[in-house]
Amino acid sequence: MMTFLAAAAEQPGALETLSKTFGLHGMFFVAQVVNFFLVVIVLKKFAFGPIQEILEQRRERIAAGEEKLKRIEQQLAESEATTAAAIAKANEDALRLIKEAKEGAAAFTEQKAQEAIASAQQILVKAEAAGNADRERISSELKREFGRLVATTTTQVTGKVLTPEDQNRINQEALAKVGD
Amino acid sequence: MTRFFGITLSVWLLCLASAFGAEGGHHALPLDAQRLHDWLPVTNSMIMVWIAVILIVLFCRIATGKMSLVPAGVQNFAEWVFESLYSFLEGLMGAHLTKRTFWFFGSIFFFILVSNYLGLIPGVGTVGWNLQNAAGENVGFTPWLRGANADINMTAAMAFTFALLWIYWAVTENGFGGLVKHIFAPKGNFSGIMLVMMVPIFLFVGVLEIISIAIRPVALSFRLFGNIYGGEQTLEKLMTLVPEWLSFLPALPFYFMELLVGFVQALVFTLLCAIFLKLICDHGDEHEERH
Repeated sequence: MMTFLAAAAEQPGALETLSKTFGLHGMFFVAQVVNFFLVVIVLKKFAFGPIQEILEQRRERIAAGEEKLKRIEQQLAESEATTAAAIAKANEDALRLIKEAKEGAAAFTEQKAQEAIASAQQILVKAEAAGNADRERISSELKREFGRLVATTTTQVTGKVLTPEDQNRINQEALAKVGD
Repeated sequence: MTRFFGITLSVWLLCLASAFGAEGGHHALPLDAQRLHDWLPVTNSMIMVWIAVILIVLFCRIATGKMSLVPAGVQNFAEWVFESLYSFLEGLMGAHLTKRTFWFFGSIFFFILVSNYLGLIPGVGTVGWNLQNAAGENVGFTPWLRGANADINMTAAMAFTFALLWIYWAVTENGFGGLVKHIFAPKGNFSGIMLVMMVPIFLFVGVLEIISIAIRPVALSFRLFGNIYGGEQTLEKLMTLVPEWLSFLPALPFYFMELLVGFVQALVFTLLCAIFLKLICDHGDEHEERH
């Protein structure tokens, strides 16, 4: 290869031949380089710059949107977790309250039942006492009436006016017999 | 279907116009670009360069005149073209290099593409004036306009500009020491006697690499120039194979091919430049070793 390169370098006018054959001209080449630089600068400024800028903006916007979406998803997940925890806690509280209410209601029912029983017993006692008193009263009235009837009957049968002592004695005897 | 017929009809008209443009005596397109002015270094191909740039800038100004975050119409099309090329280069060179160098690769791709297609417009390379000697004989032909990439000076200017930028990017990405190491240092995990044996081999490989790097701009220049100049010559010569009234016909299929060649050559030039840059800035092995 070195030999080839050396031979190529030794050939006189190789570049000149190339230049003549294909029209490679130093000044035109430099002019075209300048032209090409201008082309690139103009295209960069007026063509690709604005498009690249808007695409960059859109890319940033999409990236920001995706970031936002991730954040929203994360917040949603956190919110769901918080909600689930709150619901679980509320459930727990509700169960506890229901249990407490049930226990309270049971105690209250028991208390009221006891009170009702006590009240009923009192009523019974009172009723019994009242009954007894009535019976006593009626019995006394009956005895009195019976004594009066016995005294009246005796007065009418015997035709004798009974003294209070007689009446009392007859009453006592009659009551003693009825009582038996 | 309508689009297909539209394209076919356009190419037919292009052929017809080209054939009528060349009527009245065929002139072979000279191999070199002609100077249009005595004291200004302005050639007929430079005019096409400016026209191409004006067209691209006009298109972009129309597309970017009323930029909105939700694109529509021309802006949408421009963004689609732009993003397609950007994504293509990003897949090739990576995000960092693409962001840094897209202004160059985008410019070079669209410039070559538009220039190539402008070179196919009837009259470009075929309408001009004859050069006559003292006896009044035609001794040459100077077209008024010439495809920008049918001029070796233009393709060489692009290739050598890329070469300079390549060196700049390679040094800034690797550091000067890194660049030298990238070219000459043994690749792979060698140690001991193997390393000693590999050093001269890789030094030699480095020299070959330097030669390869030096030849790249030449290859880039001649590949693009050869394809575009050859295409224009083919179209022109095909028209002379048949009677003049039928001259549009043989060139017709080749117009389709030249449309494809115009695109492929723009892509090949851009792609090769991107690959050359990627190769010198690639730290893949080092990253793998670190991991």
